[in-house]
Amino acid sequence: MTAALIAALVTGAALFGVGLYGALSQTNLVMIMMGVELILAGALVNLAAFWRFLHPGAYAGQMFVLIVMTVMALEMAVGFGVATARFRAKGSVEMEEAGELKG
Amino acid sequence: MTTVAVLAALLAGAYAVAVLEAWARTGRMRPGGPLFAAAALIGRESFVPRKPDRLFFEAAPVLLLVAAVLAAAVLPWAPGLVIVDLATGALFVNAAFAYVLVALIMAGWGPDGAYAMVGGWRFLGQLIGYSMLIVMPITAVAMRAESLVTTVIVDSQAGVWNIVYQPLGFVLFFIAAMALAFLPPFDLPTAPGELAGGVEAEYAGRRLAVLRLARALLVVAVALATTVFYLGGWRGPWLPPWAWTGLKTLAVAAAMFALGGRLPRVREAHFLAWCWKLGIPLALLNIFVVGLLVLAVP
Amino acid sequence: MHAQTFFIAFFGLAAVWFGVAVFRTSSMVRSALALLFSQTAIGAMFLAMQTEFLGVLQIMMMATEMSIMAIFMVMYMMDPGGLGAMEMTHQKRFSIAAGAIGGGAALAVAVLTPWGPVVAQAPAAAQQTRALGLELLGRSMLVFETAGVTILTAMIAATAVAVRRREGKAAR
Repeated sequence: MTAALIAALVTGAALFGVGLYGALSQTNLVMIMMGVELILAGALVNLAAFWRFLHPGAYAGQMFVLIVMTVMALEMAVGFGVATARFRAKGSVEMEEAGELKG
Repeated sequence: MTTVAVLAALLAGAYAVAVLEAWARTGRMRPGGPLFAAAALIGRESFVPRKPDRLFFEAAPVLLLVAAVLAAAVLPWAPGLVIVDLATGALFVNAAFAYVLVALIMAGWGPDGAYAMVGGWRFLGQLIGYSMLIVMPITAVAMRAESLVTTVIVDSQAGVWNIVYQPLGFVLFFIAAMALAFLPPFDLPTAPGELAGGVEAEYAGRRLAVLRLARALLVVAVALATTVFYLGGWRGPWLPPWAWTGLKTLAVAAAMFALGGRLPRVREAHFLAWCWKLGIPLALLNIFVVGLLVLAVP
Repeated sequence: MHAQTFFIAFFGLAAVWFGVAVFRTSSMVRSALALLFSQTAIGAMFLAMQTEFLGVLQIMMMATEMSIMAIFMVMYMMDPGGLGAMEMTHQKRFSIAAGAIGGGAALAVAVLTPWGPVVAQAPAAAQQTRALGLELLGRSMLVFETAGVTILTAMIAATAVAVRRREGKAAR
């Protein structure tokens, strides 16, 4: 049974790694958001696995999954808002060209 | 055994829906029509357009078929006659219907054609309008049944059918279901006459046959969902339960075709405006009223 | 092997495979739909882990979310079909290193931590749905409501950022 937990956690770790690579390596804002989605997906898998295999009586664990799903949706909404504004102003969402956003 | 029976019922339903659709379009009832049409489609060459996204082009009709069948898989035809009686059936129906959108986007993007692509993205806009009107009325139905299990939802309508208990929800769901199955007034993704078939434009031969079959099954699935959620499912006197489900499903499909044929095609912007400015407030009102009813009438 | 372990591993592999595919294709729509199927595989993992409600919810939400992702890709990319073979990455070596270190660290934690006894039996699906509902509208109501308000804030903020500014009389 521990094998099932480990399998889920390994998946979560792999998704996190892939997502981190994507978020750092892509130059396009929407592709960066895809990387962030993968990172959050890794978190989702871990949370669900912890709930199922360690604390199936604590429903706050399931609720945590719901909150992370909400965060994913929020990240998309705000990200697309920013992308739209950026595209209106500059005609592209390439982050290489967004040096002026540096503080 | 149950699975085979349900799949056979779905296929028979798809056949009947195809006959009904031809009747709504031409005014003539030709019981053999779908057979000849299918034979003609399968006999024809199924060409592939130039520079397609081959994976999407091939997968889209199959995905549409799978989505329709999965949605129907949790909807009961009679007590015990359901493929899987999920504990979250009412939610699963929504999940399966969401993949109709994915299939249409794939069908629109895959063939690399202008009409198809416009059709595919149009359906995404259409979804922004109708999706809330699918989910929110089902929420009210689940509130009355105090369960997401579809068989329990049918049982909750033992006294009064939901069409009487929450008529507002029924009207909203009916319209949204027509938009979901892209039936005539909302047939923006295919739109014969202005998009030349839209997502269907680049498909031919056996691939088009699969696409048409999937579309007919989708109509059966939404009509079956309307039956289960609002028309008391298998309940009715004299006839056996499965016959009632079948009759009601066909009646809903016929009503959708008859109504749709008499209305002008809705413009995308108008559809979105009506859904968000009128439909969603009404759906919220419906949830509120049903909540009051559930509390007041135990 | 235990059936549950097998299905978790199978869908987990599918999720990671599609996740890698997101960054390996140059067609933007393919990339968005690969992410969708990665998320769907995660939903299937949830089903394999007997968290039925969350699994179905994940499968439902991601279909719409990732389709919207796809249309934004097509809107804002110069080459959405990936026919021009544009280079769209930077700081590649650094990213690979960061991904490997981050993933490796998480992996090490996952494998090396003594997780203690694992619960064999999950609650029945219907009971889970009920308990989750009671949790949401009972003990965790404040958190849940905060999430709702946050969504509203984000919606308003996103709309405010995205709408065209009115400049004097020449509005719109």
